[in-house]
Amino acid sequence: MSPNTSSSTGKDKLIVDEEEVLQAVILADSFNKRFKPLTTHKPRCLLPICNAPLLDWTFESLALAGVQEIFVICRSHAELVKTAIKNSKWSKPGAGLKIVPIVTAKETFTPGDAMRDIYTHGIITSDFVLVTGDLVSNIRIGDVVREHKERRKTDKDAIMTMVVKQSGVNHRTRSRGDSAVFVIDPETSKCLHYEAVTGYPPKKYASIPREILNEHPEVEIRNDLIDCSIDICSVEVPSLFQDNFDYGDVRRDFVHGVLTSDLLMKSIYCYIAKEGYAARVRDTRSYDSISKDILARWTFPLVPDDNHPGGHSYEHLRGNKYIAKDNSVILSRTCKIGNNTLIGSKSQIADNAQVIASVLGQQCIVGAGSIVRNSYLFDGAVIGPNCVVEHSIIASGVHIKERTRVERGCLIADGVVVGPQAKLAPFSRLSKRRQDSDEEDEEFEDAEEEVKTATTEDEVDSELEDVEANQDPEALAKLGPGTNAIIWPLPTVDEDEDIDELEHPDNQRLMRIGDNASDLVLSDPGSITSSGQADSAVISEFQQEVKQSLDRAFAEGHSVDNAAVELKTLRMASNVSLRLVREAVIAAIVSRIKIMAGGGIPQRQEIASMISRWGGLIDKIGGVDPVETVEILQEYCASSDRLPLFGQILAALYQDDIVDEDDIRAWHGNSKSQGQGVKPTSLQDNYNKCWVTGAHMIKQFDEQDSDEESEEDSDDGSESRDPVVENPVTKELPSAGANSSEENSCEENSDEEDEGNTDEDDSE
Amino acid sequence: MATDPSSVANQRVVETLASRLRRRQVVGSRETALETVLVLRQVISKVRFSNIDQLVEIIRSVGRKLVEAQPKEHTVGNTVRKVLHHIREEYHTASQGTAVVSTSKDTLSIAKFVLQGQPRKQNVPQKTTLNKSQVMLKENDEDDPDAFARTLKPVLMEAIQDVLDELETVYDNISKNAKDHIHSDEIILIIGKSSTVEAFLKAAAPYRKYTVIVADTAPSYSGHDMAQSLSSAGISTVLVPDSSIYALMSRINKVMLGAHAILANGGMFAITGSLLAATAARAHSTPVVVCAGQFKLTPQWNLYHEYGALDFADPSSVLGFEEGNLVDKVDVVNPFYDYVRPELIDAFITNDGDHPPSSVYRLIKEAYDDEDYEL
Repeated sequence: MSPNTSSSTGKDKLIVDEEEVLQAVILADSFNKRFKPLTTHKPRCLLPICNAPLLDWTFESLALAGVQEIFVICRSHAELVKTAIKNSKWSKPGAGLKIVPIVTAKETFTPGDAMRDIYTHGIITSDFVLVTGDLVSNIRIGDVVREHKERRKTDKDAIMTMVVKQSGVNHRTRSRGDSAVFVIDPETSKCLHYEAVTGYPPKKYASIPREILNEHPEVEIRNDLIDCSIDICSVEVPSLFQDNFDYGDVRRDFVHGVLTSDLLMKSIYCYIAKEGYAARVRDTRSYDSISKDILARWTFPLVPDDNHPGGHSYEHLRGNKYIAKDNSVILSRTCKIGNNTLIGSKSQIADNAQVIASVLGQQCIVGAGSIVRNSYLFDGAVIGPNCVVEHSIIASGVHIKERTRVERGCLIADGVVVGPQAKLAPFSRLSKRRQDSDEEDEEFEDAEEEVKTATTEDEVDSELEDVEANQDPEALAKLGPGTNAIIWPLPTVDEDEDIDELEHPDNQRLMRIGDNASDLVLSDPGSITSSGQADSAVISEFQQEVKQSLDRAFAEGHSVDNAAVELKTLRMASNVSLRLVREAVIAAIVSRIKIMAGGGIPQRQEIASMISRWGGLIDKIGGVDPVETVEILQEYCASSDRLPLFGQILAALYQDDIVDEDDIRAWHGNSKSQGQGVKPTSLQDNYNKCWVTGAHMIKQFDEQDSDEESEEDSDDGSESRDPVVENPVTKELPSAGANSSEENSCEENSDEEDEGNTDEDDSE
Repeated sequence: MATDPSSVANQRVVETLASRLRRRQVVGSRETALETVLVLRQVISKVRFSNIDQLVEIIRSVGRKLVEAQPKEHTVGNTVRKVLHHIREEYHTASQGTAVVSTSKDTLSIAKFVLQGQPRKQNVPQKTTLNKSQVMLKENDEDDPDAFARTLKPVLMEAIQDVLDELETVYDNISKNAKDHIHSDEIILIIGKSSTVEAFLKAAAPYRKYTVIVADTAPSYSGHDMAQSLSSAGISTVLVPDSSIYALMSRINKVMLGAHAILANGGMFAITGSLLAATAARAHSTPVVVCAGQFKLTPQWNLYHEYGALDFADPSSVLGFEEGNLVDKVDVVNPFYDYVRPELIDAFITNDGDHPPSSVYRLIKEAYDDEDYEL
């Protein structure tokens, strides 16, 4: 700041500065539709919050942080964004900011696509700040950048620092629908694990890889952080997006992907901001809470009366009321202005009107006796006399005629006329019908259309047409005689539409202005089953895949080793326990065994050939546990029509050395094998039958041990197989009376089942 | 060709300081005053003007811009006024030729005023005799429009240097008489961290043995830093919570406060808690003295009618952001400053002598020109 800096040294300084220019990238597109229909003709980043466009708040936040060069990535309504930037105070020479708008391709559907676009543009020269176009912050990002750079000196793999802000779980600014669990090493503030959390259905569990707990003596698992979406990224980040073309979201895909990947070996850090405020307008709910935070001065010095990004000046009055300073506001003597209210210039509030905890834009009019509570009126909105507006966002030029009731959660887009005496249902979303627009308006729209690019216009058009085509005349009639509005349907999910959990209407309800979603939260206890379902979905999917993979292996005659490798990869991919794999393999093998009509020898041969061909697979899936194998076999046989084959299969396994005597004894000794604790009694019976079969075998072993010990040693495999296998079927060996009777029943039962089976086969 | 005032106001340096002020990247009265002088010096060294009115208009437009950027940092406006005052003074001296017996800064005091009557400003215009031997100031010279600026600029730079010097030596000048105000075995209550008070107390430390009681000064707790700094200078220091100020007041000999801005009515804006301390002092008839540089004298006097003039900061130091449940239900008000009424103050110790609140208006009249009260 010294004036002595002469021009000669000034040049050197410039060069030094050039090296240290802090770059920022703003993703000006939201990539979702939470503000529809407010955003049909305007990108979200140009919506005003506290009477200044969101983008200006973002610029101010970055300027506050010492950023010198900003790239604005815009997609929808790119021309509008460009013009807005050109006309703003930021493009004046004295602003000290260089803003470059970049229009990305229309195929950019996710932040990831935008990052790939940044990569192809090659604009990033050093560490940069990545933010979204809807950020309100007063955090000193410069400090975070310094910390990041310092860390980079020692750890080249630290590619990103995420700025998070501590808040309570129930903080109004913390998104209930879209939060995350961070696992952080408190010492190094390295982010070890990231798991996105959706609000509905409520997430009950977060799974943290065991290695993290092994490697770090101390970890913090936190779900009370507001993700500010301010990331200090290294140059590698865009190229990582380029390499991994499936990364969509920066958090859910990129951060999660990098942290879970064994190959990338990159690390991501968290910066838990102690001071300062930062939040993102993700949805209408956070729009509401951030507006309130601004009015409550949490964003100081970014407050309406001090450093208003729109350049307006407001007078700060007791109770955090802000009234435009230019004396153009007309307040009636009997009107009531509540706390936390902002009133833009040239606004008028008539007799007995009440404006409470609301933001009024410029030239707004509130008629006599009306009540505006917790609502946001954009420039030029007119509320007629005796209306009630609660918890809603009313866009510019809207005219709400007398005695209209706007219930909580309504979004009313530009230029809509409603009323008189209309009653809007909670959470209705209205926009202007285009056909009804008079010529003047059409001209205006034409001009707008020219500005806009063809694709977005088409998109908007088709959506608008859809909505217009499906209007309910009854509902429209409630909007009053003078209306030009169309009602947007409440979001629903098509059965076949594959919708992201995050964007699910139920989850979105948590992000809606004025929605306390009490009915959703009440359904909390039921969530355990729902999460169980999610698990079982994964498992059944896995089982399906194993079955398919084995089917292929059987059909194409793969070697056991190849099949095992395939199974291992599958297991890694779906991250399931080993037992599940074993279950799946045994189920697949046993189900392959054909049930021979007559039983006896052909059946035995069938089993033997199957087990000798594929039995080895059971032990090659990544762990050997014969006792479990028998358990699973029992479980499978007990619950399928292959119950009678249990003994034979077990014998075959024994023959192939997949299980040995001790394993069978161990299984037999296990109380669970007798079917204890198994719920349906029929199933328990089946368990019991298997157990009895096993008991038989053990008895045989005992006898063999005592009688034919030497013989068995000298016998070859086929000889010794016969008595064992024949035992349950042919009953040649002596057995106790009680046992034999049971054996009989078992036999009968199995015969019956066999018959049933053949019948079925016949019918087929 | 004179530079257009509005274009000067949009110059890079001005714009930069304006945005830094707006973003509160420059805080503290003295800091802002220094920055303002530096910017003004840069502006004056570059601008072109051919008469005094143009120059004044340029400086005023820069001043307006800076004041608008941060109306709550009163020293910005004060410094601009001060510079304008000096420029006019230099101009008159130069145009009169004969060096008017300039009443230098150290003579500006109530005592001198009483003795000498009206200060020099009113006398100046009457002296119309020009000394021909001096270099003539040619205003509005058609042939050489820069002649006026050329002749005047060196003296202007000197004048600005004077302001700068005054700012740089302000702490020394204030604490010059510290040992006359602080007596041995006194117990002095101070509040918050004020560099002026700190320098003042430290200056008295070698001569007097006294005790300082420092209040915490919630929610900034700047009293902690202050206590640390004082005790490291060898002053016996006690840190107490704000709540015990009243209880301790009976033991205290003197309350010493810093100021953010001294208003023309003799009241002042000072760090939150000052009003509490001053009121408690009044109840015990303990003297309250305020240490402040002259640059804090502000010609406005009715600012305290405005609620927002106290400058409200963010609530985070009062109610943590992490108290999520409360944030939605509680409105927190966290003012930076208290307005302390003139009745509660006994004396101002400035680099320009000691004055009672009732004579602050005179000081202001001497320091600034009337026409600059509204920039």
